Amino acid sequence: MLRVGIIGCGKVADVHISQIRRIGGCKIVGVCDREELMAQQLSERFGVPRYFSEVGEFLSFSRPDVVHITTPPQSHFEIAKLCLESGCHVYVEKPFTLYAWEAKELVERANASSVKLTAGHNAQFSHAARRMRRLVQEGYLGGPPVHLESLWCYELEDNVFAKAFLGAKRHWVRELPGGLLHNIISHGIAKLAAFFTMESPIVSAHGFISPLLRGLGENQIIDELRVMICDAERTTAYFTFSSGMRPSVRQFRIWGAKNGLLVDDDQQTVIKLRGSRYKSYLEMFVPPLNLAGQYVGNVWSNARLFLARDFHMDSGMKCLIEAFYRSIAGKQSVPIPYREILLTARIMDDIFQQVSSQSVPQVPLRPVVPRIAC
Amino acid sequence: MLIQPDETILVTGATGFIGLSVVRTLLKRGFRNLRLLVRSYRRPAALEEIVSRHRGARIEVFHGDLLSPEDCLGAAKDASVVYHLAVEKGEKSFAYLFMNSVLTTRNLLEACVAQRRLRRFVNVSSFAVYTNCEKPLGKVLDELCPVEQDPMRRGDPYCFAKLKQDEIVMEYGRKHAIPYVIIRPGVVYGPGSNGITGRVGIGTFGVFLHLGGPNQVPLTYVDNCADAIVLAGLSEGADGEAFNVVDDDLPSSRKLLQLYKKNVKHFRSVYIPRAVSYLLTCIWEDYSHWSRGQLPPLFNRKIWHAYWKGSRYSNAKMKNLGWTPQISTADGLIRYFESCREQV
Repeated sequence: MLRVGIIGCGKVADVHISQIRRIGGCKIVGVCDREELMAQQLSERFGVPRYFSEVGEFLSFSRPDVVHITTPPQSHFEIAKLCLESGCHVYVEKPFTLYAWEAKELVERANASSVKLTAGHNAQFSHAARRMRRLVQEGYLGGPPVHLESLWCYELEDNVFAKAFLGAKRHWVRELPGGLLHNIISHGIAKLAAFFTMESPIVSAHGFISPLLRGLGENQIIDELRVMICDAERTTAYFTFSSGMRPSVRQFRIWGAKNGLLVDDDQQTVIKLRGSRYKSYLEMFVPPLNLAGQYVGNVWSNARLFLARDFHMDSGMKCLIEAFYRSIAGKQSVPIPYREILLTARIMDDIFQQVSSQSVPQVPLRPVVPRIAC
Repeated sequence: MLIQPDETILVTGATGFIGLSVVRTLLKRGFRNLRLLVRSYRRPAALEEIVSRHRGARIEVFHGDLLSPEDCLGAAKDASVVYHLAVEKGEKSFAYLFMNSVLTTRNLLEACVAQRRLRRFVNVSSFAVYTNCEKPLGKVLDELCPVEQDPMRRGDPYCFAKLKQDEIVMEYGRKHAIPYVIIRPGVVYGPGSNGITGRVGIGTFGVFLHLGGPNQVPLTYVDNCADAIVLAGLSEGADGEAFNVVDDDLPSSRKLLQLYKKNVKHFRSVYIPRAVSYLLTCIWEDYSHWSRGQLPPLFNRKIWHAYWKGSRYSNAKMKNLGWTPQISTADGLIRYFESCREQV
């Protein structure tokens, strides 16, 4: 029986515990938060036997085999180090660390202590993401990827979390090196990092404050980001983070030499983009029909998963945790290769350095819409 | 009266829907030394207007976060009465609401203990803390009714947070002799609030499901509620008591829905009889349990008992303190519908 502990008893910890409880062969032995009341409420609600406010005490009394770190990102590095030193395997919520050097040091320490690490890039393990990866592994793209595109949108208007940090000058999100971007983009960047083979691709980033936020008097939070990533081998990628785009999508597209794939995280759909073309007018009728058929197929597969009670909102996290626990048991390798975790951290470092060095561009509050003559 | 007009009064959540009305009521009653704790650095126009209208009073807008013990110490300095109205209602997670209800209240209480001048701590709670499970249909819900014992099964983070907030206030009352009063308003309405309360029904599934039927809706007009809150902070002999706040002449759910449709906007609604809504709620809860949370347990037996089973409400205890609703329900609804129309 794997002994599991949680450090950080905020709302993400609820999601972790809910998913851990759906997995067999493990039990939660203790929770810890530097604010004792937070640890107590989590332990009471989920019937966890013990709660702590000191990490050291928690590690020595509860003796967990694996620790999930769900604190704000500023403390990930130090807490993860303590856990690794105690011989625990560690699952660190996203963003993995504040800086790439911290990520590198954690990986080195994990290797030195022969324990395992993973990052909370659970969007990589949703049903749709796994279907996409299977197709790529089966060679659907017709070779290595030529170009990737990751879109990660974030609605500020109706988002309660956004309201909290927009209203508070001292919110922890504001104190991250990459601000709001730092807390959100790792899912979207990790999707790209999984397909880059070189250690240091060229990153070119441009960030700015949206007219919406500027209208609210905000002059710190960058909520629009465009990134181009180039691998000297052959692969390129675009990453878009936007609070203003509608529809607000979280999509991943990948194109190979033969075919492409489109994955929608919100709709949990995977669409095959055929590389071959039909002759003449057929191209205007057959592919749309084919797409319609694929969407119906996605509805059917999602419905089947729902009926089988395997379509929970956070099923990606359950899959990632299960895979991580299997790797701890020595049954398989870590679910996210360390190379991917480190590359994600390096790309994020590059983005934040470039964005912070740019002065805030003066985009007009009312963007001019060009008139197009028909 | 517990305090003199020049003594310091702290109001947390002063820019909120009820908070602004509490500030206006205090000024109307002649209190001239108010400290308004505001988390957001953006001051709403309504607060600016109050400040500019009362140049003679000392109104200090204190920017701070109740999660910071230092800010709480600064805000509570020299305060004789604390009206604690700050609340987070938007976010629907247990941990977030707990943090922003219980930790904030604990910090504020610690600050009050440290400064040793407090005469009254008014904790604004909610009707959400009551359970109706054991109470027969249609019986009066008053301050003697039991509170929810198993908030996790109810699946209502707001109920959980408010229960724990009340508990910590009572604990500080016992351990540190903090003189407290707990106020539990029903559904607070008025210009500035919008939509129709969930006690009438829900629009989650595309069509409005009317679940309240003949049940009374425990309304309290925002200014009446503010009067009650202010009075609870000033009255002698109220320490350690809880008071429910509802107005007189409460409408039924059916009547309220009818008036809303007539005065604000028309929409299609389907009445779900009590037995059917109970059955549907049971099915939802059992499926949620069976599927291990594939559907969240938003609808469950405890929620049904609390919101849709049907109760009558009493404001007798609050009236014994000298409170009477100044705005009748009929007048309150006219003002509320007018404001809703403007928003529509």
